[in-house]
Amino acid sequence: MSDNVEKYIKRKVHKGMSTKISQKFIDAGLEKIRACINCGTCTGSCPSGRRTAYRTRSAIRKALTGDESVLEDIDIWMCSTCYYCYERCPRDIPVTDMIIKLRNIAVEEGFILDSHFTLASDIFYATGHGVPANDPEAHKQWRALRESYGLPPLPPTVHSYPEAVKECQTLMNEVGFRALLDNAAKLKAKRKAEAEKIAKEKTEEEKK
Amino acid sequence: MTETKKEIIVTGKEKPRIGVYVCHCGINIAGVVDVVKLKDYALTLPDVVLAREYKFMCSDNGQSMIKEDIEAGLINRVVVAACSPRMHEPTFRLVCKEAGLNQFLFEQANIREHATWVNMYDPEGAYEIAKDHIRMSVAKARKLLPLEVQKVKVDPSCLIIGGGISGMNSALDLADEGYKVYLVERTPTIGGHMAQLDKTFPTMDCSACILTPKMVDVGRKEKIEIMTYSEVVDVSGYVGNFEVTIMKKPHYVDQEKCTACGSCAENCPITCGNEFDLGMGTRKAIYIPFPQAVPGEYTIDMEKCIKCGICAREDVCEPGAIKYDDKPEYVTVKVGTIIVATGWDLYDPTELGQYGYGRYPNVITGLQMERLLSSFGPVLGKPVRPSDLEAPHSIAFLQCVGSRNFREGGHSYCSRVCCMYATKQARQYKEKHPEAEVYIFYMDIRAFGKGYEEFYESAAENFGISYVRGRIAEVREGENHNIVIRAEDTLLQTPIELEVDLFVLSCGLEAKADADQVASLLSIQRSADGFFMEAHPKLKPVDTLTDGIFVAGVAQGPKDIPDAVAQAKGAASSAAALMAQGEVEIEPYYSVVIEHLCSGCRTCQSLCPFGAIDFDEFKKIAVVNPALCKGCGTCVSACPSGAMVQNHFANFQLNSIINVAVKQPTVENGGK
Repeated sequence: MSDNVEKYIKRKVHKGMSTKISQKFIDAGLEKIRACINCGTCTGSCPSGRRTAYRTRSAIRKALTGDESVLEDIDIWMCSTCYYCYERCPRDIPVTDMIIKLRNIAVEEGFILDSHFTLASDIFYATGHGVPANDPEAHKQWRALRESYGLPPLPPTVHSYPEAVKECQTLMNEVGFRALLDNAAKLKAKRKAEAEKIAKEKTEEEKK
Repeated sequence: MTETKKEIIVTGKEKPRIGVYVCHCGINIAGVVDVVKLKDYALTLPDVVLAREYKFMCSDNGQSMIKEDIEAGLINRVVVAACSPRMHEPTFRLVCKEAGLNQFLFEQANIREHATWVNMYDPEGAYEIAKDHIRMSVAKARKLLPLEVQKVKVDPSCLIIGGGISGMNSALDLADEGYKVYLVERTPTIGGHMAQLDKTFPTMDCSACILTPKMVDVGRKEKIEIMTYSEVVDVSGYVGNFEVTIMKKPHYVDQEKCTACGSCAENCPITCGNEFDLGMGTRKAIYIPFPQAVPGEYTIDMEKCIKCGICAREDVCEPGAIKYDDKPEYVTVKVGTIIVATGWDLYDPTELGQYGYGRYPNVITGLQMERLLSSFGPVLGKPVRPSDLEAPHSIAFLQCVGSRNFREGGHSYCSRVCCMYATKQARQYKEKHPEAEVYIFYMDIRAFGKGYEEFYESAAENFGISYVRGRIAEVREGENHNIVIRAEDTLLQTPIELEVDLFVLSCGLEAKADADQVASLLSIQRSADGFFMEAHPKLKPVDTLTDGIFVAGVAQGPKDIPDAVAQAKGAASSAAALMAQGEVEIEPYYSVVIEHLCSGCRTCQSLCPFGAIDFDEFKKIAVVNPALCKGCGTCVSACPSGAMVQNHFANFQLNSIINVAVKQPTVENGGK
């Protein structure tokens, strides 16, 4: 087979069921995925897939056959975890849990969206709140809303007890959340540098 | 078979000389544990005089090893450590018998199912368990006593429960072989589900055309006594001698007088849904289920009848056959064998809310489609959709409804007929409406039978039926009661939406709703899928675990018509083989009363589930009828004075096992 043909026909390489990704599913107790018969009930049921390019069955099939490109696919973040796929799967496979696991693996491998990273690191880790309400200007209306119901302007969380932020961070460090984010950032930066290097070489080659 | 050798007399008093034979079972046992070490271990056990191991003890060579040792007078008891006794206990017993040793001086240690199979990855543990089993079997073998086999006569008659295509075929075969057959059918006619079908795949034979002549045949056979509108209410007895009580439900019509003129139905003012047409057609409160019914007996549905008295009027029913005060009649028959051919129910898809069955009028089941297609169905073979009675332009079929579904409420098995019946119905509709769009949504098409793949190919090629690979996720109702389908076309890897006029659910088959009652009535087992269990999935597919009771047709598991008929004929053949022998051996595991211990309290008599215990008024003690006793042991455990002993499972035999099982020094227990 000439190189030319290989260039135009993309061959899918099946790597069997013992690849890194499928092993991670099995380690997480989700080996039921191997019973999938690809009936498409999950994709057909998916309210997100009707509006986006997210294809539940295809994503899981890629993961199962060791196609790691699925990890960098932003579509896997389109699932709204409505659980329709799980509810209807004839093989009783916890499909939604699979997608969540797939996202976990993606983050472990450094495939995290910038917006998600910012939320996790700069907001959740830094403030102890996923959705903070203490910005003097931007969150004013929420505090006013709380007060209109006779509630204190800030909830009895780290907002009311700023000294507890440290404790929250200790907890997040202990469970490895910080390390996960740092690792993801590191891998992401490395990958970006590599991509830039390749792009640079390419442009130089073209110049010549 | 070799000639039976001179009998070796064992009374149980002489010293036991036990031979232990350890089977490799290929690698099933030898691949996990060291059989030579097991053999050596056996030699250390009390009274074991020799031990051998061999690749397959059940083979000819293995059997002759045992036989030679017995004939040489080396041993007088045999222990085989091999597989489950279910398959090969009879084999080795026969070996003992042929060598002249009483066949009940044999004991089998199951070291395959109980040790090496279940502990495949733990060879050391398996070895310990195998040792335990051998030690326990040797302990029991030391205490075994010779027993005599009982022979009972087999009545040359058969009860067949269910008058569908399976039951009818069994009945015809047995009648042709000269046996008396009682064919009991719950509904007012024989024919079963096959009578509801229009055509049959893959030959497109008209179902009624091939079925009704059979029904007439059954009706004509002198040897067959059809009992329609009847139910079996009680079964007692044992192989060869069953006593069956059948309730004939009241027809409220004197069948002797009725001439089946039909005037009563014409004049009956009550119109209701017809079960035969799945509620899509009508019948009167007095009716025959369908024109070709056999026997063509009129029946009044008392749940619908308002007792207006019109049918009983002299000008309506001239012979005066109407009998409003008809009562159920109970008949008792004695039969030698029983064939269970109770058939199936259609899976009810109402629970699968996403398919809208029961909510949207234009969602129907495959069996309803069959009635719509039937030339003697409610619309005379010109299918219309329920909402507006128009012929649909587009139809979608969905496969595997209720089948291959591992969720709660679904069935994990494949129903085997739906792929083909949907293809057949789609093709039938296309024959009549070539312009129609017909889709079949499937996960896999299973066209496994003779001519099936060709039928599938032709449906796509010659009739243009669109097969879409994808299980429908949900449907909703669009304009004009159309059905909007959402699914993934998995081959295009894209979600699709499709609007059709009629949506047909290819529902699977499931066990009859009252299968559990039938099972307990007959003391037969059901497998996990709810259908009746065969004695062995491969080698005894028509036998049940209860001697003399056979199973045929879909009652055993989903089948198409050819398979159901084949199994029905197999069941008939097995039943005939039993009846042709005229008598059958039953195991002598009955209970025996030790007369001087029995205080005559009658506890056992009231507890015996088989009515096998009588009371001797003169001696004032219990007496066991060996032919009725099934050896359940209830009386043994209930007897307050220890006067009941069950052959082959006596207390002193079981205690000997328990003593070595817990590895304590043998304590000889009473009961000897």
